[in-house]
Amino acid sequence: MAIECLVLGAGQEVGKSCVVATIGGKRVMFDCGMHMGYHDRRHYPDFARALAAWGVPDFTSALACVVITHFHLDHIGALPYFTEVCGYHGPIYMTYPTKALAPFMLEDYRKVTMDQRGEAEQYSYEDILRCMKKVIPLDLKQTVQVDKDLVIRAYYAGHVLGAAMIYAKVGDAAMVYTGDYNMTPDRHLGAAQIDRLKLDLLITESTYAKTIRDSKHAREREFLKAVHKCVSGGGKVLIPTFALGRAQELCMLLDDYWERMNLKIPIYFSAGLTIQANMYYKMLIGWTSQKIKDSHAVHNPFDFKHVCHFERSFINNPGPCVLFATPGMISGGFSLEAFKKWAPSNKNLITLPGYCVAGTVGHKLMSGKPTRIDLDKDTHIDVRCQIHQLAFSPHTDSKGIMDLTEFLSPKHVILVHGEKPQMAFLKERIESELGIPCFYPANNESVSIPTTDNLKMSTTERFITSCAAEQGKQSLRKRNLIHGTGTSEVNGCDEAAVEGVILMEKHKAPKILCEDELAQVLGMERHLVQFEALGSSGIEEAVELEFKRAEAADLGSDGK
Amino acid sequence: MSNTKQPISNRLRSLPVASGGGLPSKTPTRRSPLPAGEAPPLPLLHQALHPPNPMGDPHLLSSAHPAAAAASARKHPGPIDERFSDPSPHITKRPRVAADAAATVGSAPYPEEEVRSLVIMAGGIYPLARAEALRGLAAVLEKAGTGCCDGAGIVECCYGCAVELMRDEDEGVRLAVVRLVGLCAQKFAARMDVDAKSDGDIMDLIFQQLSSMARDMCTKVRIEAFGALGKMQRVSDGVLLQSLSKKVIKTDTMSGTIIKGQKLPPKLKIPCAAGIFAHGIEDEFYQVRTAACTSLGALAKFSSQYAEKALDLLMDMMNDDTETVRLQTLQALFHMATYGYLSMQEKHMHMFLGLLVDANALIRNAARKILGLVNLPKLQMFKSAIDCLIASLEKNPEEQDIYGILFSIGKNHGSFSANIAKHLAKEIATASDGELILDRPRVKALIIVSISAPFSDDKHKKLDIPSIIFSHAISLLGKVSCALGEEVNQDSLLSYLCHKGGMPLWGNRSVSVEFGESESCKVETVEVGEQIENTAKATKCLDRVLVMQSVESILQTVEGAWTMRMSCDVCEARTILRTCKEELKVLAENSSGSIGAFLSFLCEYLDAIRLVVELWQLIQLDNSYTVGLTAPDILLEKLNISVRRMECCYAGLNRGLEVQVMELALLANLLGLSNIGACSKAVLSKLVWIINRLEGLCADGSCELSDFSREIKKTFEADHIGSALIRNIHTSVELFRLKPTTDFGALKAISGVLQVCDNNSENPQSYICGLPVGVSFNISLWNISSNHRLWLHMSIGESVQHTFLDFSSFEGDGEVKSGSMVVPLNTTPMAHSFVLRVCLIMECYGGISSNQERHGGPSDCVVQLSDELDVYFVSTGQR
Ligand SMILES: [Zn+2]
Repeated sequence: MAIECLVLGAGQEVGKSCVVATIGGKRVMFDCGMHMGYHDRRHYPDFARALAAWGVPDFTSALACVVITHFHLDHIGALPYFTEVCGYHGPIYMTYPTKALAPFMLEDYRKVTMDQRGEAEQYSYEDILRCMKKVIPLDLKQTVQVDKDLVIRAYYAGHVLGAAMIYAKVGDAAMVYTGDYNMTPDRHLGAAQIDRLKLDLLITESTYAKTIRDSKHAREREFLKAVHKCVSGGGKVLIPTFALGRAQELCMLLDDYWERMNLKIPIYFSAGLTIQANMYYKMLIGWTSQKIKDSHAVHNPFDFKHVCHFERSFINNPGPCVLFATPGMISGGFSLEAFKKWAPSNKNLITLPGYCVAGTVGHKLMSGKPTRIDLDKDTHIDVRCQIHQLAFSPHTDSKGIMDLTEFLSPKHVILVHGEKPQMAFLKERIESELGIPCFYPANNESVSIPTTDNLKMSTTERFITSCAAEQGKQSLRKRNLIHGTGTSEVNGCDEAAVEGVILMEKHKAPKILCEDELAQVLGMERHLVQFEALGSSGIEEAVELEFKRAEAADLGSDGK
Repeated sequence: MSNTKQPISNRLRSLPVASGGGLPSKTPTRRSPLPAGEAPPLPLLHQALHPPNPMGDPHLLSSAHPAAAAASARKHPGPIDERFSDPSPHITKRPRVAADAAATVGSAPYPEEEVRSLVIMAGGIYPLARAEALRGLAAVLEKAGTGCCDGAGIVECCYGCAVELMRDEDEGVRLAVVRLVGLCAQKFAARMDVDAKSDGDIMDLIFQQLSSMARDMCTKVRIEAFGALGKMQRVSDGVLLQSLSKKVIKTDTMSGTIIKGQKLPPKLKIPCAAGIFAHGIEDEFYQVRTAACTSLGALAKFSSQYAEKALDLLMDMMNDDTETVRLQTLQALFHMATYGYLSMQEKHMHMFLGLLVDANALIRNAARKILGLVNLPKLQMFKSAIDCLIASLEKNPEEQDIYGILFSIGKNHGSFSANIAKHLAKEIATASDGELILDRPRVKALIIVSISAPFSDDKHKKLDIPSIIFSHAISLLGKVSCALGEEVNQDSLLSYLCHKGGMPLWGNRSVSVEFGESESCKVETVEVGEQIENTAKATKCLDRVLVMQSVESILQTVEGAWTMRMSCDVCEARTILRTCKEELKVLAENSSGSIGAFLSFLCEYLDAIRLVVELWQLIQLDNSYTVGLTAPDILLEKLNISVRRMECCYAGLNRGLEVQVMELALLANLLGLSNIGACSKAVLSKLVWIINRLEGLCADGSCELSDFSREIKKTFEADHIGSALIRNIHTSVELFRLKPTTDFGALKAISGVLQVCDNNSENPQSYICGLPVGVSFNISLWNISSNHRLWLHMSIGESVQHTFLDFSSFEGDGEVKSGSMVVPLNTTPMAHSFVLRVCLIMECYGGISSNQERHGGPSDCVVQLSDELDVYFVSTGQR
């Protein structure tokens, strides 16, 4: 048996994650993402080509199921297209939070692309809804029997709300597809968590295949220091964020600090940002970090104590405050409005995320230290405020990948979702340090992994008894060793060989028996072959001994 | 099977013993004779091919129920402790004598047997059994460590077994592995003490192995692993440093060993230790973070380079969202500070000082304690720390221990404190009178920091603390010395301040002299101070010698003040006397026995002297009544009471003290004469009595009659009416010399404490108007003998009732007697409520009483023995 692994997307690149693994003849598609960087045919995985290669008429009959790990578009973006346009009607699995949040992400993106780029519509809102209807929700560690042979199970992956790593098993062949994951917890999400499984294959993301990240504590400390300094000097802090993840993370950090330092300065959330997102977090508390799970019965951590009611006009109020506003890269919306107002004062502070798309105000602020930003021909903003950059990445770093790989110790590793040179580096490390063969196929390439089969055998009682006796002798020997020279040899002797015969007959299950049982089982008589010595006596004896051994060996090999 | 209900640990415990009796190889034949409930033969468990439970011995396996195993796991190391102290019924019931002996003697004859059996069992297919076997090994190991020399092989064996199971699929097994490996590490470390550093690499290896376990997905395993890491010893610097950084450090030390021609340490394939603590402090579970912080701090004592970097990580933990973690981190820092491995840097200050104003009092307190120990390399850091402490003090004025911390910080940074002192002195100098309010926490704090400087270790530097600081410190002494209670003993501070601050106070006429004197005095006092501090730390109670040193210096000041009276600077003299008395009072409150009695006696004495000084001033002002000064009658009465207290309230006055008291009595009476202006018969007879008594005391020549007494005697003998005395009063008083003795023998203070049961203003006792009411008291008496006559003095407004106190039924020894009694109050007023004021008084026997008729009450010569107590009454129907 083998696992055939076809990489349709995210092979040696980041974007449109999509891997089809054939385990014991069952095809499972992991993730079905889109590539945000391309707007041609590379936008989606090349489904048609795969279908042609498989030689089946349609996707529904080709695939046992589709499993989506989390709601990021590079993991789910192509799903409506796949179901509604390509016509896949089989089962789709994703976790509860992913199912709840995915429609918003998809619809958001669809609208934006239609508005901004005027692209031809790939799928409609109705398509999204129809698609989501087919989704079967998964719970963590819930074992789902997809069909007679295929079993899947979801493990917590951190990364974003509802992200999961997927374990799939057919017969004895088992594998894990990680999706995106994070090995270090943050304030609102936990770290990836998985059992020690016997795996033939691990497919892991490798976004940071070469980077080793420092502790986030130092970054948090600098952030808090900067914010505290700003507000105690009477300044205003603008924190542009996306609705999910970073906003909650930073707000928990600040809320906690406010509490400890007994600060009274108001923290605001611009409208729309929290209302919906925090509602989801509250609903899906089981998917957050341990601390939140522990404490939410007493106090919901998303009911921030120091967050005050906000109205648009507050932006003109005097005095210090902290404002969270969307969008994260100051590409428009309320965060841009606040930026226009506050940037000219050197008392104020703008906190930027670690990465901003080129062309946005955020990107301009990050590149160099501009004193003036030109929004368009007529609008210029003087920038005198402080700028603080704070990166929170929800992806694991190189060390995390190594740790997870070492913990699971699979027989093979495939890297996806990363840059080619870095992947090559990581492959080298995994092979040299962990001794596990590692691959990083490009898109549309496939890798075949051999798997081991376990064979169940019955045995005779006599064989068991003789094994036990052998064990006893071993023990005796060890015991003497202990009393003699020490205990050093006790370990490692446990796997002593036992002698026996494996009998494999046609139409019967294989069986293990003792040597001397063989004749009886086969219903044969025992023959004895004797040799006459011809040479001189001294040599004779030695030869005879030799022959006796050979004879015994002959008999032994009889049934093998 | 009656014993299936036994905890699994009990049953498993019997395993080694069972096999210890005979050869396990024979177990198959032995099986049948074993009593019911016997443990199964071990090797069978090991047979991987064997069906689960073929031997008809279900209880081991059936009992290996998850819950049971979990329970025993939680109990760990319970089973180990119980092992020999509590032989289970299972073992004692066993028929085999050998096994019995093994169990009861307390050390199995063949620990190797047990180890072997358990190692085999640890290779079994059932995870719960594997885990239990590992726990068993740990138990054996713990015992083996206590001395037997063949324990060595056992440790290696256990370690090998544990390492094989490190990657076990079962969490319980991995948990047991970590515990066992941790234990092995301790054993190895202990052994390496004996045979040098032959295999130091093994500690590094174990450290790495435990580190890899600390990345386990199971929380419990991680907690355990971090705990075990913290107990490691002899880990090389390279590995320790690696444990802090996720990035793999190219170790120079390793290549260094090659150069030296030494064997390379066994290169591990993966640097498992990399950044293990960085991971630990980021963990999702606060229990893991707590364990990581503890270990992070614990390992700091092995490498200063490590300690420096570990501090960075620990400082970051101050932002942790869990209070427990923050507290534990502070604990770890405190640990590091105690070992002297904590060197705070500028980048840590913002974070750390934030803790001083944390909302949580525990955090604030812990942070302060650390601050009291650390070394701050820069003046700026020192100043910001002081500022932060002051801010904290202003915010939480109830946290008086801040003063103590201020003192120790100041002491730790002598030259910085001197800097503070210089600025403070300038501030004091420029501030106009009254502007610098000494009660303000800031000034108080800065004064404390300033006066701490001379206690610092950097003696080689010359620390000029302006003396003006000390003179200000003296006026704060009462509060401040209490606040410093823990760090510096009060007496040391007192004597120290007296030396330094006393000088400018009464010698500030000539600046140059003062300067010279304080200069010369400095070295000496600093040393005394240090010596005092050291002894105080060692004994923690006031040393007699040290107290006497301070007392002597105080008395010197007093004598100085008395001579000052001559220069008519009465106000200043009065202030000094008051201050000195306050100091003595502090000392008295912290002393006991004779010395305590003597100190309170001296307080009394200083009071009397002060009254004399004040009276003398009035007399010198030609008896004219001065506004703002107390009338001489009242002063005189106070003086008489004071003298009487000295006479009567101390048992065992020796001759010297008695002379001292008598001379004072003489002086008091003389002043009385002068005040009245005419000679009253009573005063004169008293004078005669005192002179006679003085003569009697000096009769045997052990002391000499002073000039003052002799002069009065002479004058009095010449003129019995006393008019000559009044005429010569100035001359006589001039002759009075203040020379208090410091020899107090076995002085005892007579005193009493009066308590009323169940009564306060909220909870008054009820009574019926006009009818008697009983009040129940608890009374304790010190050094009262049976010939003392005690009374209860009870007053309601003007009306007074005296009740004789019969304390013959009181229980106790010669020193303390106590008892309770109900005392009737004969008449109650016709009021809704009233307050009864009660105190204990004692008749002065042997003294002179002008009133011989008693009227059923005490003589009019009494002293008050206890504080006055208020008893609240409310008439029934008013409640
Ligand atoms: Zn993602």
